[in-house]
Amino acid sequence: MAAPEGPETFTLLPLHLDAETKALSSPNTNLADHLDELNRFHRHIVALDTPNQNIPPPAPVNPKRSVQIGKLRESGNASFKKGAFAEAVKMYDLAIRMALDRPPWEASGLVREELSALHGNRAQAMMGQQAWPEGALDAKISTEMKRVGNVKGWWRRGQCLKEMGRLEEARDWLRQGVEFERAGPEKANLGELEALLRDVEGGLAAKAKA
Amino acid sequence: MDNATNSTFNGTFDGNGTFNGTSGAFTPPVPKPFWTGLLLPTAYLIILIGSLYSFSSVYRQRQIARASKLEPWFPQHVTRNIYLSLLHLDPEAASDGEKKLSKVPDSVLKAALLKRAVEDIQRIVQLRQAKPALQTLVQRGSVGDELWQRFQRAEQEMELEVKDVVNEANAFAPNWGQVIFQSANEINQNIMLKKRIAEMQAELDSDKAWWENKRAGIQDQFMKELEGDSADAAAAINPPVGRKTNSDDDAVLVEAGGPAQAQGGGKKKGKK
Repeated sequence: MAAPEGPETFTLLPLHLDAETKALSSPNTNLADHLDELNRFHRHIVALDTPNQNIPPPAPVNPKRSVQIGKLRESGNASFKKGAFAEAVKMYDLAIRMALDRPPWEASGLVREELSALHGNRAQAMMGQQAWPEGALDAKISTEMKRVGNVKGWWRRGQCLKEMGRLEEARDWLRQGVEFERAGPEKANLGELEALLRDVEGGLAAKAKA
Repeated sequence: MDNATNSTFNGTFDGNGTFNGTSGAFTPPVPKPFWTGLLLPTAYLIILIGSLYSFSSVYRQRQIARASKLEPWFPQHVTRNIYLSLLHLDPEAASDGEKKLSKVPDSVLKAALLKRAVEDIQRIVQLRQAKPALQTLVQRGSVGDELWQRFQRAEQEMELEVKDVVNEANAFAPNWGQVIFQSANEINQNIMLKKRIAEMQAELDSDKAWWENKRAGIQDQFMKELEGDSADAAAAINPPVGRKTNSDDDAVLVEAGGPAQAQGGGKKKGKK
């Protein structure tokens, strides 16, 4: 099994093909992860409506899914404005799930952009419910997906950390955010971030005095 | 010429009378020393070339053998094995159910090929990242030559592998070979993205538990403060147990009110 294969050889693996679902399986348990992913690819390929089910290039994605995600996001935003935070979170959840379930070969830049916005919105809705840990995490994911041009994301996590009393963490986080955003396209909004940072630093100083 | 040499012989071997006398009879076998004279250098050349050749071939064989004994850079290429196994799969034997498949469907093969390309991309990324560091290490002599040989072999194999995948892809759909690695690259990026999100998501539970704990602690503090206040104000009118539950309720209310106000301010900021 461990023998290396040259360019001309390969190791024959015991595979099993289900006639109905065309799902692959193998008695060899080491292959389970690979085959699971393969079957997931396969489902996406079967769902394609391109001629001959050829896999399209990554760049222009199927607009259907983007439209659906956009709709879910809009209804989430509407609920948020009405103050129905739980409802908004539900909508954002659905949208995030849809974005994650895009065919795997679609442009990752787009996926990043979408997830950043959705997680950011969900963070805001979580903050509305005072669910600080959840909000902090969503904001972190949002900034991880999009580091520059995401002042809101940095601000939200900073705010959540501050609310939880994790002032040192909040300060470090906000400093990092200011660092990233200084050269970014949202320079104009940097003031909010700096204001929060001053706030947190003030809190820390007061704590040190007490 | 011949005579002249004979005469010098005569001069040197003066005491040898018989040699002198037969000197005239020696002229016919003159070609003989010519051939023996040629035999020696040719034998010399043959032996020389032969030994060089055999040395080089043995040396080369040994080197090939040693190279093949070198540990491969990467572990087994499992996805390649899956793809090739699928090509060699006898579908009727491998599938069950009422209707037997006459052949492995193209969609499955495409998925398998795509998976193989993703693995290739991951390997190429690894090789590219390792190359500059490895080069400097080899130049400084910090690592053995063997490692470098292994690396080069991995690179060569990778090149063949990529070509093979492109050919296979073109066989499924014209021009797929040109974009399959683009797709594979995006898949790889997406996989990393999802892994990162899952990692972060895993932090949530401990974070939440920590916050619950802390909030309970804050509530306790509030309760104690309130208890102290009420102990000052109202003496012993209420029984201690009843007061305790009372102040607990108060604490919850206060706790819930405080951050809500802060949130109100925060929301406005966020909406800007």
